[in-house]
Amino acid sequence: MPAESPPPIQCRDLSRSFGHGPARVDALEPFNLNFAAGQTTAIVGPSGCGKSTLLRLIAGLDTPSTGSVRIGGETPLQMRQRAALSVAFQDAALLPWRSVRGNIALARKLAHLPPDPGGVDRLIALVGLAGFEERRPADLSGGMRQRAAIARCLATDPRLLLLDEPFGAVDELTRARLNRELPALWQGHGVTTLLVTHSVSEAVLLSDRVIVLSPRPARVVADIAIDLARPRNPGAEADALIAAVTEALAQSAPPRPEPCVSAR
Amino acid sequence: MTIALHPLRQRSSDRLWLVLGVLVALLIWELLARAFAHTYLIASPVEIARYLWANAGLVARAAGITGLTAAIGFVLGNAVAIALAALAVLVPGLARMISALALVVFCLPLVATGPILRVLWGPGLGPQITLAALAVYFTTFLPLMVGLRAAPPSWFDLVRSYGRGRLTALIEVRAMASLPYLFAGLQIAAPAAILGAMFGEFTGAERGMGVLTLRAMRSLDVAGTWALASTAATISMLAYAGLGRLGQALNTGPPPLILAPLLEGGRRKGWRVLAHPILVVLVLIALWWLSMESAGLSQFFAKRPGDVWAFLITAPEAAAHRATLGSALLETLVLALPGYLLGLALGVGLAMAMVLAPRLARAVMPIAIALRAIPIVITAPLIVIALGRGATGTITIVALMIFFPSLIACYQGLARTPRQVLELFDSYAASPLRRMASAQFPAMLPAFFAAARMAVPAAILAATTAEWLATGRGIGGLMALTASTSGYGMLWSAVVVLAGVAVAGYVGIAQIERAVLRIYGAEQLTR
Repeated sequence: MPAESPPPIQCRDLSRSFGHGPARVDALEPFNLNFAAGQTTAIVGPSGCGKSTLLRLIAGLDTPSTGSVRIGGETPLQMRQRAALSVAFQDAALLPWRSVRGNIALARKLAHLPPDPGGVDRLIALVGLAGFEERRPADLSGGMRQRAAIARCLATDPRLLLLDEPFGAVDELTRARLNRELPALWQGHGVTTLLVTHSVSEAVLLSDRVIVLSPRPARVVADIAIDLARPRNPGAEADALIAAVTEALAQSAPPRPEPCVSAR
Repeated sequence: MTIALHPLRQRSSDRLWLVLGVLVALLIWELLARAFAHTYLIASPVEIARYLWANAGLVARAAGITGLTAAIGFVLGNAVAIALAALAVLVPGLARMISALALVVFCLPLVATGPILRVLWGPGLGPQITLAALAVYFTTFLPLMVGLRAAPPSWFDLVRSYGRGRLTALIEVRAMASLPYLFAGLQIAAPAAILGAMFGEFTGAERGMGVLTLRAMRSLDVAGTWALASTAATISMLAYAGLGRLGQALNTGPPPLILAPLLEGGRRKGWRVLAHPILVVLVLIALWWLSMESAGLSQFFAKRPGDVWAFLITAPEAAAHRATLGSALLETLVLALPGYLLGLALGVGLAMAMVLAPRLARAVMPIAIALRAIPIVITAPLIVIALGRGATGTITIVALMIFFPSLIACYQGLARTPRQVLELFDSYAASPLRRMASAQFPAMLPAFFAAARMAVPAAILAATTAEWLATGRGIGGLMALTASTSGYGMLWSAVVVLAGVAVAGYVGIAQIERAVLRIYGAEQLTR
């Protein structure tokens, strides 16, 4: 297959509000942001600030109230229909009645791509699940499930990867290992990657650029380039960047009590 | 998020309890029958065995024909249920209409639809099969609608993220995710199919268990009535258990707690509140008229909506018709309501007692599940023999009809109390009663209301069945009388009025439920 180049993303005047009248909640204010082709961009921000909403709008899983998203000149729907886009969900979203292999193969089936058993097995080995091909998700640990979900994401050879806190449900040790291992998986593929995360260190270690969002409605409060050599390891340079991002986050979110409003 | 439930998981010690329970029950039965032998109320297990031995061929042939009828109705009714549920999911705009029409058809009183189907179909298996199909489709449709929507949102996002739509989601996600719900529904549908088939046989079939039962009852053959009831009950329980096993073998997971969904939608205000019910009524009238006209059925027995309107509203004798119907309905409701409340109260009460005394639950639950599988047409004649044709018999039949499903639903509902909440109460050394009142009872409310809602049509079915088979009073008696005297205007009017009452009761409970769940079960309302 001729390698298609990874697309840039343009968000123009993007906004999203939920509900009507006094119950209306603005998750995103009109929002303009571009993501460079082939880069990994991390989006961090306080809980409930609209990070996941932004990701869902870019994936076209949610419809913006105003504005538009263009991915390499295409709409999200066009991207999805030709399987050029993959999403990793917070909860892995593996179907419990399918084996690991069945779940990964499902992506190609859904994308109307021909089955590729060899490719699926290579991905399973790549995410370290060799020997677990026929296991069901219930038999796997949280980290193994997330790795299976990442393998599924890669099974369609997408140009755009959207990762919504893919390691959120994983313990700290496993998370650190996934953070070390997984960038190699998608960075070799020539993809544009967006990563939503709670973890500042994860954002710095995985990405080329970190965008810090304010509390809801989300605005960009900091846009920090991460020029660290890869493979990255925690160290003084990284620590300085982590401190910078953490500082931006703290500035963006003055402590104030706020009632809990569910955006979805 | 779905909560897996294992309150009824079988353990080997449970099986021992079950066998012991059955043996003790048989022994008590035998002793009671012998003690009351002079009253001619109860046939003992030995007498039943003797009757079955003597009439083996007759009963086997009857059971065969009833089983076949029920099986055909089961397949047809469930096929319709699955098709309707799939359509409602594929075209969400139709979901409210489909659910409402399904409810109305479920609320049709079998007692009157039976004789009407008999004249529409003529002799043969038609009415039995139709009634069996009518009796099963809703018990499958309702849990299936829950199951088809029970998957987490991210599974649907996954399908959409590859550009696929509702049909793919139905095939890849919903169909598999709904299997445990489907099997839970099919399991309850199996006894319901036998109920429908026997009802059809009561309305003038030539062969079958229903025909033999009617004959045995009329000739006051106590041993025969009990023997036929035991046989039909055994078939029901075997069908129920068999489908449960099939579900397990297909690895559909633990049976989920079925909380029948509330009526679709419901956040409208002003005149829009009425728009949907009016639309449903108009569609119903149109379907009714069209089906009668397209089949070219005689207006003498196949009444059209206009005929019922004339009979009750515009005809010269309309006032007399309304008075007859109204007083019969009142007579029925006066017995159905106490039976309904009694059945619910006993169900809730025993469920709470079983949680407070878990040993009791081990003995009672398997028996309760087995007895739930026995259709009301089988138990009603026995209760009538035992308690006579007065108010007590009817109230008992209604209460019994409602008791078992409520007991099982409430017990499963109590088991839904989150473990952490129980541990919190334990950490303060709260008494079991305090725990029950403050933690488990509120957790049970969604299940209780689901049972209470489903019990409304069940109560009306039970009351009219008792009246029709035995007491000859109330609207059930009126329907039996008008069916035998070809008073089809009154019969169709009774169908319309009874279905209306059942739907109104169901919707009324749903309104109370909505208010209560807003506090106790917010997650139930977000579907």
